[in-house]
Amino acid sequence: MRGPPVRHPDDQREQLPAVEGTIADASEMKPGDRVVYPNQGVCAVVGVEEKDIAGQKLQLVRMRREEDGAAVLVPKNKVPSIGLRRVATGEQMEGVFHYLAAQFDDPELDWKVRHRDNADRLIAGGVLGVAEVVKGLHSLSRIRPLPTKEREQYDNARHLLVHEIAVSLGVPPVLAEDYVDYALMPPAGVKFTLKPPPTPVLLPSRPKKKRPVVEDDDLGLSDLGIDIDLSGALEAAVPEPADGEAAQGTEEAGGEEAAQEGGEEEGAQEIVKPTAPLAAKVTPQPQARQKKAPAAKEKAAAKKPTPKKPAPKKPAPRKPAATKGPAKKPHPPKTTAKRGGKKK
Amino acid sequence: MIRIVTLDRMDPSDLAFLTGTLYRAFGVGTEHAGEKPAPPEAETKDGRLDAVKLLREVAPVRSLPDDKVLYITSAPLALASGPLGEPPCWGFADLGGERAVITTSKLPQRGVTEASIEAWRQRLAREAIHAIGHTWDLHHCYDARCAMHPSWSQGLPANPDKELCSFCREKSERKIRLAKT
Repeated sequence: MRGPPVRHPDDQREQLPAVEGTIADASEMKPGDRVVYPNQGVCAVVGVEEKDIAGQKLQLVRMRREEDGAAVLVPKNKVPSIGLRRVATGEQMEGVFHYLAAQFDDPELDWKVRHRDNADRLIAGGVLGVAEVVKGLHSLSRIRPLPTKEREQYDNARHLLVHEIAVSLGVPPVLAEDYVDYALMPPAGVKFTLKPPPTPVLLPSRPKKKRPVVEDDDLGLSDLGIDIDLSGALEAAVPEPADGEAAQGTEEAGGEEAAQEGGEEEGAQEIVKPTAPLAAKVTPQPQARQKKAPAAKEKAAAKKPTPKKPAPKKPAPRKPAATKGPAKKPHPPKTTAKRGGKKK
Repeated sequence: MIRIVTLDRMDPSDLAFLTGTLYRAFGVGTEHAGEKPAPPEAETKDGRLDAVKLLREVAPVRSLPDDKVLYITSAPLALASGPLGEPPCWGFADLGGERAVITTSKLPQRGVTEASIEAWRQRLAREAIHAIGHTWDLHHCYDARCAMHPSWSQGLPANPDKELCSFCREKSERKIRLAKT
Protein backbone atom coordinates (compact mmCIF):
# COMPACT_ATOMS: atom_id res chain seq x y z
CA MET A 1 0.00 0.00 0.00
CA ARG A 2 1.36 3.40 -0.89
CA GLY A 3 1.58 5.83 1.97
CA PRO A 4 1.24 9.58 1.76
CA PRO A 5 4.24 11.61 0.68
CA VAL A 6 6.89 12.40 3.25
CA ARG A 7 5.88 15.62 4.94
CA HIS A 8 8.97 16.43 6.94
CA PRO A 9 11.95 16.75 4.69
CA ASP A 10 14.70 17.91 7.02
CA ASP A 11 16.70 19.59 4.30
CA GLN A 12 13.89 22.02 3.52
CA ARG A 13 13.27 23.03 7.09
CA GLU A 14 14.49 26.54 6.71
CA GLN A 15 12.99 27.33 3.33
CA LEU A 16 9.39 26.39 4.04
CA PRO A 17 6.93 28.96 2.80
CA ALA A 18 4.48 30.30 5.36
CA VAL A 19 0.85 29.35 5.04
CA GLU A 20 -1.10 31.84 3.01
CA GLY A 21 -2.60 34.54 5.19
CA THR A 22 -0.27 34.03 8.14
CA ILE A 23 0.01 37.14 10.27
CA ALA A 24 3.67 38.07 10.52
CA ASP A 25 3.30 41.14 12.67
CA ALA A 26 0.85 42.14 15.37
CA SER A 27 0.49 45.58 13.80
CA GLU A 28 -1.42 43.92 10.94
CA MET A 29 -4.25 43.13 13.33
CA LYS A 30 -6.97 45.67 13.91
CA PRO A 31 -9.94 45.52 16.25
CA GLY A 32 -12.78 43.69 14.54
CA ASP A 33 -10.53 41.54 12.37
CA ARG A 34 -11.28 37.84 12.29
CA VAL A 35 -8.31 35.56 12.62
CA VAL A 36 -7.81 31.84 13.04
CA TYR A 37 -5.88 30.71 16.08
CA PRO A 38 -4.48 27.23 15.38
CA ASN A 39 -6.30 24.54 17.36
CA GLN A 40 -8.66 27.13 18.86
CA GLY A 41 -10.74 28.34 15.98
CA VAL A 42 -11.93 31.65 14.67
CA CYS A 43 -11.32 34.61 16.95
CA ALA A 44 -12.25 38.27 16.66
CA VAL A 45 -9.56 40.77 17.55
CA VAL A 46 -10.71 43.04 20.38
CA GLY A 47 -7.64 45.22 20.73
CA VAL A 48 -4.22 45.62 22.31
CA GLU A 49 -3.86 46.14 26.03
CA GLU A 50 -0.99 46.47 28.45
CA LYS A 51 -0.80 44.26 31.51
CA ASP A 52 1.59 44.04 34.39
CA ILE A 53 2.57 40.41 34.70
CA ALA A 54 5.26 39.29 37.16
CA GLY A 55 6.70 42.77 37.31
CA GLN A 56 6.89 43.09 33.54
CA LYS A 57 4.72 45.28 31.44
CA LEU A 58 3.50 43.20 28.54
CA GLN A 59 1.54 44.29 25.51
CA LEU A 60 -1.15 41.72 24.84
CA VAL A 61 -3.47 41.28 21.91
CA ARG A 62 -6.92 40.47 23.23
CA MET A 63 -9.11 38.24 21.11
CA ARG A 64 -12.50 36.67 21.61
CA ARG A 65 -13.18 33.17 20.40
CA GLU A 66 -16.33 33.41 18.34
CA GLU A 67 -17.60 29.97 19.15
CA ASP A 68 -18.03 30.51 22.88
CA GLY A 69 -16.80 34.02 23.59
CA ALA A 70 -13.70 32.83 25.47
CA ALA A 71 -11.01 35.48 25.93
CA VAL A 72 -7.64 34.79 24.32
CA LEU A 73 -4.63 36.95 25.23
CA VAL A 74 -1.45 36.71 23.19
CA PRO A 75 1.74 38.69 23.87
CA LYS A 76 2.28 41.03 20.97
CA ASN A 77 5.78 39.75 20.26
CA LYS A 78 4.52 36.14 20.14
CA VAL A 79 2.00 36.80 17.39
CA PRO A 80 4.35 35.88 14.50
CA SER A 81 5.36 32.59 16.09
CA ILE A 82 2.01 31.08 17.12
CA GLY A 83 0.68 30.71 13.58
CA LEU A 84 -2.20 33.16 13.67
CA ARG A 85 -3.65 33.56 10.22
CA ARG A 86 -6.47 35.28 8.48
CA VAL A 87 -9.70 33.41 7.75
CA ALA A 88 -9.40 31.53 4.46
CA THR A 89 -10.69 33.31 1.39
CA GLY A 90 -13.42 31.98 -0.87
CA GLU A 91 -10.83 30.90 -3.41
CA GLN A 92 -8.89 28.95 -0.81
CA MET A 93 -12.13 27.34 0.37
CA GLU A 94 -12.95 26.22 -3.13
CA GLY A 95 -9.56 24.52 -3.24
CA VAL A 96 -10.33 22.83 0.06
CA PHE A 97 -13.58 21.39 -1.29
CA HIS A 98 -11.89 20.16 -4.44
CA TYR A 99 -9.28 18.56 -2.22
CA LEU A 100 -11.93 16.91 -0.06
CA ALA A 101 -13.82 15.59 -3.05
CA ALA A 102 -10.70 14.23 -4.77
CA GLN A 103 -9.86 10.56 -4.60
CA PHE A 104 -8.74 9.24 -1.24
CA ASP A 105 -5.05 8.62 -0.69
CA ASP A 106 -4.07 5.51 1.16
CA PRO A 107 -3.83 6.53 4.79
CA GLU A 108 -0.59 6.48 6.74
CA LEU A 109 -0.74 3.24 8.72
CA ASP A 110 1.87 4.01 11.36
CA TRP A 111 -0.18 5.63 14.11
CA LYS A 112 2.75 7.47 15.66
CA VAL A 113 3.69 9.18 12.43
CA ARG A 114 0.07 9.80 11.58
CA HIS A 115 -0.86 11.28 14.92
CA ARG A 116 2.17 13.56 15.01
CA ASP A 117 1.73 14.69 11.42
CA ASN A 118 -1.91 15.41 12.04
CA ALA A 119 -1.10 17.46 15.12
CA ASP A 120 1.42 19.44 13.07
CA ARG A 121 -1.05 19.96 10.27
CA LEU A 122 -3.67 21.29 12.65
CA ILE A 123 -1.20 23.82 14.00
CA ALA A 124 0.80 24.88 10.98
CA GLY A 125 -0.99 23.57 7.90
CA GLY A 126 -3.56 26.28 7.40
CA VAL A 127 -7.11 25.46 6.40
CA LEU A 128 -5.88 22.90 3.92
CA GLY A 129 -3.91 21.19 6.68
CA VAL A 130 -7.09 20.87 8.74
CA ALA A 131 -8.88 19.49 5.70
CA GLU A 132 -6.04 17.01 5.25
CA VAL A 133 -6.52 15.74 8.78
CA VAL A 134 -10.25 15.32 8.28
CA LYS A 135 -9.84 13.58 4.98
CA GLY A 136 -6.94 11.41 6.12
CA LEU A 137 -8.73 10.16 9.21
CA HIS A 138 -11.96 9.76 7.29
CA SER A 139 -10.22 7.57 4.74
CA LEU A 140 -8.68 5.56 7.57
CA SER A 141 -12.09 5.12 9.18
CA ARG A 142 -13.22 3.34 6.02
CA ILE A 143 -10.62 0.69 6.71
CA ARG A 144 -11.06 0.33 10.47
CA PRO A 145 -12.68 2.24 13.32
CA LEU A 146 -10.48 4.99 14.70
CA PRO A 147 -8.96 4.62 18.17
CA THR A 148 -10.28 6.98 20.82
CA LYS A 149 -7.50 9.56 20.58
CA GLU A 150 -7.76 9.80 16.83
CA ARG A 151 -11.52 9.85 16.99
CA GLU A 152 -11.20 12.92 19.18
CA GLN A 153 -8.63 14.42 16.86
CA TYR A 154 -10.96 13.79 13.93
CA ASP A 155 -13.83 15.45 15.75
CA ASN A 156 -11.68 18.45 16.71
CA ALA A 157 -10.38 18.85 13.17
CA ARG A 158 -13.89 18.63 11.80
CA HIS A 159 -15.04 21.21 14.32
CA LEU A 160 -12.27 23.64 13.32
CA LEU A 161 -12.86 23.09 9.62
CA VAL A 162 -16.61 23.48 9.84
CA HIS A 163 -16.36 26.73 11.77
CA GLU A 164 -13.77 28.23 9.45
CA ILE A 165 -15.83 27.30 6.41
CA ALA A 166 -18.91 28.75 8.05
CA VAL A 167 -17.13 32.05 8.72
CA SER A 168 -15.45 32.15 5.33
CA LEU A 169 -18.58 31.40 3.30
CA GLY A 170 -20.97 33.17 5.65
CA VAL A 171 -23.21 30.15 6.20
CA PRO A 172 -24.41 28.40 9.37
CA PRO A 173 -22.01 25.73 10.71
CA VAL A 174 -24.37 22.81 10.06
CA LEU A 175 -24.67 23.87 6.44
CA ALA A 176 -20.87 24.08 6.25
CA GLU A 177 -20.72 20.56 7.62
CA ASP A 178 -23.20 19.39 5.00
CA TYR A 179 -20.92 20.88 2.34
CA VAL A 180 -17.93 19.03 3.80
CA ASP A 181 -19.71 15.69 3.88
CA TYR A 182 -21.26 16.26 0.49
CA ALA A 183 -17.70 16.45 -0.82
CA LEU A 184 -16.38 13.58 1.29
CA MET A 185 -19.35 11.24 0.83
CA PRO A 186 -21.28 12.25 -2.28
CA PRO A 187 -24.73 10.69 -2.67
CA ALA A 188 -25.26 7.92 -5.20
CA GLY A 189 -25.13 9.16 -8.78
CA VAL A 190 -23.41 12.46 -8.00
CA LYS A 191 -20.12 13.16 -9.72
CA PHE A 192 -18.19 16.37 -9.39
CA THR A 193 -16.12 18.06 -12.04
CA LEU A 194 -13.05 18.74 -9.97
CA LYS A 195 -10.16 21.07 -10.47
CA PRO A 196 -6.72 19.85 -9.49
CA PRO A 197 -6.56 20.18 -5.71
CA PRO A 198 -4.06 22.64 -4.21
CA THR A 199 -0.71 21.34 -3.04
CA PRO A 200 -0.55 20.81 0.71
CA VAL A 201 1.81 23.09 2.58
CA LEU A 202 5.06 21.53 3.72
CA LEU A 203 5.29 21.45 7.45
CA PRO A 204 8.33 22.35 9.51
CA SER A 205 10.16 19.46 11.13
CA ARG A 206 9.75 18.98 14.80
CA PRO A 207 12.83 19.85 16.80
CA LYS A 208 14.50 16.59 17.69
CA LYS A 209 15.46 15.81 21.25
CA LYS A 210 19.07 16.61 21.96
CA ARG A 211 20.83 13.47 23.06
CA PRO A 212 23.88 13.83 25.33
CA VAL A 213 27.02 13.26 23.28
CA VAL A 214 29.10 10.50 24.80
CA GLU A 215 32.76 10.36 23.85
CA ASP A 216 33.78 7.24 22.00
CA ASP A 217 36.24 5.96 24.55
CA ASP A 218 34.15 6.76 27.55
CA LEU A 219 31.76 3.86 27.88
CA GLY A 220 30.67 4.86 31.32
CA LEU A 221 32.59 2.00 32.90
CA SER A 222 34.36 4.23 35.36
CA ASP A 223 30.98 5.06 36.87
CA LEU A 224 30.50 1.36 37.48
CA GLY A 225 33.85 1.05 39.17
CA ILE A 226 35.41 -0.83 36.25
CA ASP A 227 38.70 0.31 34.90
CA ILE A 228 39.73 -1.44 31.72
CA ASP A 229 42.39 -0.36 29.30
CA LEU A 230 41.24 -1.62 25.94
CA SER A 231 43.71 0.33 23.93
CA GLY A 232 46.37 -2.31 24.35
CA ALA A 233 44.02 -5.06 23.37
CA LEU A 234 42.98 -3.24 20.24
CA GLU A 235 46.53 -2.43 19.40
CA ALA A 236 47.68 -5.99 19.77
CA ALA A 237 44.76 -7.84 18.27
CA VAL A 238 44.08 -5.73 15.21
CA PRO A 239 46.65 -4.81 12.63
CA GLU A 240 46.95 -1.09 12.13
CA PRO A 241 45.47 -0.71 8.62
CA ALA A 242 42.40 -2.68 9.62
CA ASP A 243 41.98 -0.64 12.80
CA GLY A 244 39.91 2.01 11.07
CA GLU A 245 37.61 -0.55 9.54
CA ALA A 246 37.12 -2.38 12.79
CA ALA A 247 36.40 0.82 14.56
CA GLN A 248 33.97 1.76 11.87
CA GLY A 249 32.21 -1.57 12.23
CA THR A 250 31.87 -1.05 15.96
CA GLU A 251 30.61 2.43 15.46
CA GLU A 252 28.13 1.30 12.87
CA ALA A 253 26.73 -1.14 15.35
CA GLY A 254 26.66 1.60 17.93
CA GLY A 255 25.03 3.87 15.40
CA GLU A 256 22.29 1.34 14.79
CA GLU A 257 21.66 1.08 18.48
CA ALA A 258 21.55 4.82 18.74
CA ALA A 259 19.14 4.96 15.85
CA GLN A 260 16.94 2.37 17.51
CA GLU A 261 16.95 4.25 20.76
CA GLY A 262 16.20 7.41 18.85
CA GLY A 263 13.35 5.63 17.14
CA GLU A 264 11.93 4.62 20.49
CA GLU A 265 12.10 8.12 21.80
CA GLU A 266 11.21 10.15 18.77
CA GLY A 267 8.62 7.94 17.21
CA ALA A 268 8.54 6.12 13.96
CA GLN A 269 9.85 8.97 11.87
CA GLU A 270 13.27 7.53 12.44
CA ILE A 271 12.00 4.17 11.34
CA VAL A 272 10.63 5.44 8.08
CA LYS A 273 13.93 6.69 6.79
CA PRO A 274 16.65 5.25 8.97
CA THR A 275 19.45 5.51 6.46
CA ALA A 276 19.93 9.25 6.44
CA PRO A 277 20.22 9.87 10.20
CA LEU A 278 22.33 6.73 10.52
CA ALA A 279 24.78 7.94 7.93
CA ALA A 280 24.89 11.32 9.61
CA LYS A 281 25.70 9.73 12.94
CA VAL A 282 28.18 7.20 11.66
CA THR A 283 30.43 9.24 9.43
CA PRO A 284 32.00 11.61 11.92
CA GLN A 285 32.64 8.94 14.53
CA PRO A 286 35.33 6.92 12.77
CA GLN A 287 37.26 10.13 12.32
CA ALA A 288 37.15 10.75 16.02
CA ARG A 289 38.34 7.22 16.62
CA GLN A 290 41.14 7.60 14.12
CA LYS A 291 42.27 10.80 15.76
CA LYS A 292 42.47 9.16 19.14
CA ALA A 293 44.19 6.04 17.89
CA PRO A 294 47.75 7.49 17.90
CA ALA A 295 47.42 8.55 21.51
CA ALA A 296 46.33 5.07 22.45
CA LYS A 297 49.22 3.68 20.47
CA GLU A 298 51.69 5.78 22.38
CA LYS A 299 50.19 4.72 25.66
CA ALA A 300 50.40 1.09 24.70
CA ALA A 301 53.96 1.48 23.47
CA ALA A 302 54.98 3.01 26.75
CA LYS A 303 53.49 0.19 28.75
CA LYS A 304 54.47 -2.72 26.54
CA PRO A 305 57.83 -2.98 24.95
CA THR A 306 56.82 -6.00 22.79
CA PRO A 307 53.71 -5.28 20.78
CA LYS A 308 53.25 -8.94 19.78
CA LYS A 309 52.64 -9.99 23.34
CA PRO A 310 49.11 -11.40 23.70
CA ALA A 311 46.99 -8.60 25.01
CA PRO A 312 44.55 -10.49 27.30
CA LYS A 313 47.41 -11.30 29.66
CA LYS A 314 47.91 -7.71 30.60
CA PRO A 315 44.57 -7.07 32.25
CA ALA A 316 44.70 -10.51 33.83
CA PRO A 317 44.08 -9.44 37.44
CA ARG A 318 40.81 -7.85 36.34
CA LYS A 319 39.49 -10.91 34.58
CA PRO A 320 35.98 -10.83 36.00
CA ALA A 321 35.58 -7.29 34.79
CA ALA A 322 37.23 -8.12 31.49
CA THR A 323 34.39 -10.48 30.63
CA LYS A 324 32.31 -7.40 30.27
CA GLY A 325 35.06 -5.92 28.17
CA PRO A 326 33.59 -5.89 24.61
CA ALA A 327 32.56 -2.38 23.80
CA LYS A 328 28.96 -3.17 22.90
CA LYS A 329 27.95 -5.15 25.94
CA PRO A 330 27.54 -2.39 28.51
CA HIS A 331 24.72 -0.87 26.45
CA PRO A 332 21.96 -3.46 26.84
CA PRO A 333 21.83 -3.34 30.66
CA LYS A 334 21.50 0.44 30.42
CA THR A 335 18.51 0.25 28.11
CA THR A 336 16.94 -2.48 30.21
CA ALA A 337 17.25 -0.28 33.25
CA LYS A 338 15.68 2.61 31.36
CA ARG A 339 12.76 0.50 30.27
CA GLY A 340 12.27 -0.80 33.76
CA GLY A 341 12.20 2.79 34.93
CA LYS A 342 9.65 3.79 32.37
CA LYS A 343 7.33 0.97 33.34
CA LYS A 344 7.28 2.15 36.90
CA MET B 1 -36.42 19.32 27.41
CA ILE B 2 -37.08 18.60 23.76
CA ARG B 3 -40.20 20.21 22.36
CA ILE B 4 -41.61 18.91 19.12
CA VAL B 5 -43.53 21.37 16.98
CA THR B 6 -45.33 20.17 13.89
CA LEU B 7 -45.74 22.44 10.90
CA ASP B 8 -48.26 20.04 9.33
CA ARG B 9 -50.71 17.58 10.78
CA MET B 10 -49.14 14.36 12.06
CA ASP B 11 -50.53 11.10 13.34
CA PRO B 12 -50.59 11.16 17.18
CA SER B 13 -49.25 7.60 17.35
CA ASP B 14 -46.25 8.63 15.26
CA LEU B 15 -45.65 11.55 17.59
CA ALA B 16 -45.91 9.29 20.62
CA PHE B 17 -43.34 6.95 19.11
CA LEU B 18 -41.06 9.89 18.34
CA THR B 19 -41.25 11.42 21.80
CA GLY B 20 -40.46 8.04 23.37
CA THR B 21 -37.51 7.49 21.07
CA LEU B 22 -36.02 10.96 21.67
CA TYR B 23 -36.40 10.51 25.40
CA ARG B 24 -34.52 7.22 25.27
CA ALA B 25 -31.82 8.62 22.98
CA PHE B 26 -30.92 11.72 25.00
CA GLY B 27 -32.41 11.05 28.41
CA VAL B 28 -34.27 14.33 28.51
CA GLY B 29 -38.00 14.89 28.64
CA THR B 30 -39.77 15.22 25.30
CA GLU B 31 -43.21 16.57 24.53
CA HIS B 32 -45.34 17.70 21.65
CA ALA B 33 -45.60 21.48 21.91
CA GLY B 34 -48.35 21.99 19.34
CA GLU B 35 -48.63 22.95 15.71
CA LYS B 36 -47.40 26.13 14.07
CA PRO B 37 -47.75 27.43 10.52
CA ALA B 38 -44.74 27.38 8.22
CA PRO B 39 -43.43 30.92 7.71
CA PRO B 40 -44.24 32.22 4.21
CA GLU B 41 -40.84 33.98 4.06
CA ALA B 42 -39.16 30.60 3.92
CA GLU B 43 -40.91 29.49 0.73
CA THR B 44 -38.69 29.32 -2.32
CA LYS B 45 -39.67 29.61 -5.97
CA ASP B 46 -39.64 25.86 -6.52
CA GLY B 47 -42.13 25.24 -3.69
CA ARG B 48 -39.61 24.08 -1.14
CA LEU B 49 -38.89 25.69 2.20
CA ASP B 50 -35.55 27.34 2.81
CA ALA B 51 -34.35 25.53 5.93
CA VAL B 52 -32.19 28.37 7.20
CA LYS B 53 -34.93 30.97 6.78
CA LEU B 54 -37.52 28.64 8.23
CA LEU B 55 -35.61 28.30 11.50
CA ARG B 56 -35.08 32.03 11.64
CA GLU B 57 -38.66 33.05 10.88
CA VAL B 58 -40.79 30.32 12.41
CA ALA B 59 -43.01 31.29 15.32
CA PRO B 60 -41.26 30.58 18.63
CA VAL B 61 -42.62 28.30 21.30
CA ARG B 62 -42.32 28.84 25.01
CA SER B 63 -39.08 27.26 26.15
CA LEU B 64 -36.40 27.38 28.82
CA PRO B 65 -32.71 28.19 28.14
CA ASP B 66 -31.47 24.62 27.57
CA ASP B 67 -34.55 23.42 25.72
CA LYS B 68 -34.35 22.18 22.17
CA VAL B 69 -37.17 22.72 19.71
CA LEU B 70 -37.65 20.32 16.83
CA TYR B 71 -39.88 21.38 13.95
CA ILE B 72 -41.30 18.74 11.63
CA THR B 73 -42.59 19.56 8.17
CA SER B 74 -43.79 17.49 5.27
CA ALA B 75 -42.60 20.06 2.72
CA PRO B 76 -39.23 19.47 1.09
CA LEU B 77 -36.42 21.62 2.45
CA ALA B 78 -33.85 23.56 0.47
CA LEU B 79 -30.33 24.64 1.37
CA ALA B 80 -28.07 27.24 -0.14
CA SER B 81 -25.81 25.84 -2.80
CA GLY B 82 -22.20 25.25 -1.78
CA PRO B 83 -18.95 25.19 -3.77
CA LEU B 84 -19.77 21.72 -5.12
CA GLY B 85 -23.53 22.11 -5.36
CA GLU B 86 -26.54 21.79 -3.10
CA PRO B 87 -26.41 18.93 -0.63
CA PRO B 88 -29.62 16.95 -0.17
CA CYS B 89 -31.56 18.21 2.83
CA TRP B 90 -33.22 15.84 5.28
CA GLY B 91 -33.08 18.37 8.05
CA PHE B 92 -31.24 21.33 9.41
CA ALA B 93 -30.22 22.58 12.85
CA ASP B 94 -28.40 25.32 14.67
CA LEU B 95 -25.12 23.75 15.75
CA GLY B 96 -25.11 23.99 19.53
CA GLY B 97 -28.24 26.09 19.29
CA GLU B 98 -31.87 25.69 20.12
CA ARG B 99 -33.77 24.91 16.95
CA ALA B 100 -33.81 22.13 14.40
CA VAL B 101 -36.10 21.17 11.56
CA ILE B 102 -36.62 17.88 9.72
CA THR B 103 -38.70 16.98 6.72
CA THR B 104 -40.72 13.85 6.11
CA SER B 105 -40.67 14.40 2.36
CA LYS B 106 -37.52 12.32 1.87
CA LEU B 107 -38.59 9.43 4.05
CA PRO B 108 -39.78 6.22 2.42
CA GLN B 109 -43.53 5.93 1.87
CA ARG B 110 -45.38 5.47 5.12
CA GLY B 111 -47.73 2.95 3.56
CA VAL B 112 -50.52 1.17 5.37
CA THR B 113 -48.91 -2.06 6.51
CA GLU B 114 -47.49 -2.36 9.97
CA ALA B 115 -44.03 -3.06 8.61
CA SER B 116 -43.95 -0.03 6.37
CA ILE B 117 -45.30 2.23 9.11
CA GLU B 118 -42.68 0.88 11.50
CA ALA B 119 -39.91 1.47 8.94
CA TRP B 120 -41.19 5.00 8.38
CA ARG B 121 -41.23 5.73 12.09
CA GLN B 122 -37.77 4.33 12.56
CA ARG B 123 -36.42 6.56 9.84
CA LEU B 124 -38.28 9.59 11.17
CA ALA B 125 -36.82 8.93 14.62
CA ARG B 126 -33.33 8.64 13.15
CA GLU B 127 -33.61 12.00 11.41
CA ALA B 128 -35.00 13.57 14.57
CA ILE B 129 -32.10 12.23 16.64
CA HIS B 130 -29.68 13.44 13.98
CA ALA B 131 -31.10 16.97 14.02
CA ILE B 132 -31.33 17.17 17.81
CA GLY B 133 -27.77 15.79 17.98
CA HIS B 134 -26.56 18.82 16.05
CA THR B 135 -28.17 21.09 18.62
CA TRP B 136 -26.05 19.28 21.23
CA ASP B 137 -22.91 20.14 19.25
CA LEU B 138 -22.55 16.75 17.61
CA HIS B 139 -20.88 16.64 14.22
CA HIS B 140 -21.46 14.10 11.50
CA CYS B 141 -20.05 10.68 12.30
CA TYR B 142 -18.19 8.39 9.93
CA ASP B 143 -19.85 5.33 11.44
CA ALA B 144 -22.71 4.30 9.16
CA ARG B 145 -24.52 2.68 12.09
CA CYS B 146 -24.62 5.94 14.03
CA ALA B 147 -27.61 8.26 13.76
CA MET B 148 -25.19 11.15 13.15
CA HIS B 149 -23.98 9.63 9.86
CA PRO B 150 -25.02 11.84 6.92
CA SER B 151 -28.47 10.84 5.74
CA TRP B 152 -27.54 10.77 2.05
CA SER B 153 -24.46 8.59 2.45
CA GLN B 154 -24.13 5.58 0.20
CA GLY B 155 -22.86 3.60 3.16
CA LEU B 156 -26.17 3.99 4.97
CA PRO B 157 -28.20 0.77 5.03
CA ALA B 158 -31.78 0.69 3.75
CA ASN B 159 -33.17 0.65 7.29
CA PRO B 160 -30.55 2.52 9.29
CA ASP B 161 -30.24 2.30 13.06
CA LYS B 162 -31.59 5.13 15.13
CA GLU B 163 -28.92 4.80 17.81
CA LEU B 164 -25.92 7.00 18.45
CA CYS B 165 -22.46 5.46 18.43
CA SER B 166 -20.61 5.35 21.75
CA PHE B 167 -18.50 8.43 20.95
CA CYS B 168 -21.49 10.55 19.95
CA ARG B 169 -23.55 9.30 22.89
CA GLU B 170 -20.82 10.15 25.37
CA LYS B 171 -20.29 13.56 23.83
CA SER B 172 -23.99 14.38 23.89
CA GLU B 173 -24.30 13.14 27.47
CA ARG B 174 -21.38 15.36 28.46
CA LYS B 175 -23.03 18.36 26.83
CA ILE B 176 -26.38 17.61 28.40
CA ARG B 177 -24.78 17.23 31.81
CA LEU B 178 -23.05 20.58 31.43
CA ALA B 179 -26.14 22.26 30.09
CA LYS B 180 -28.45 21.22 32.91
CA THR B 181 -29.15 24.27 34.98
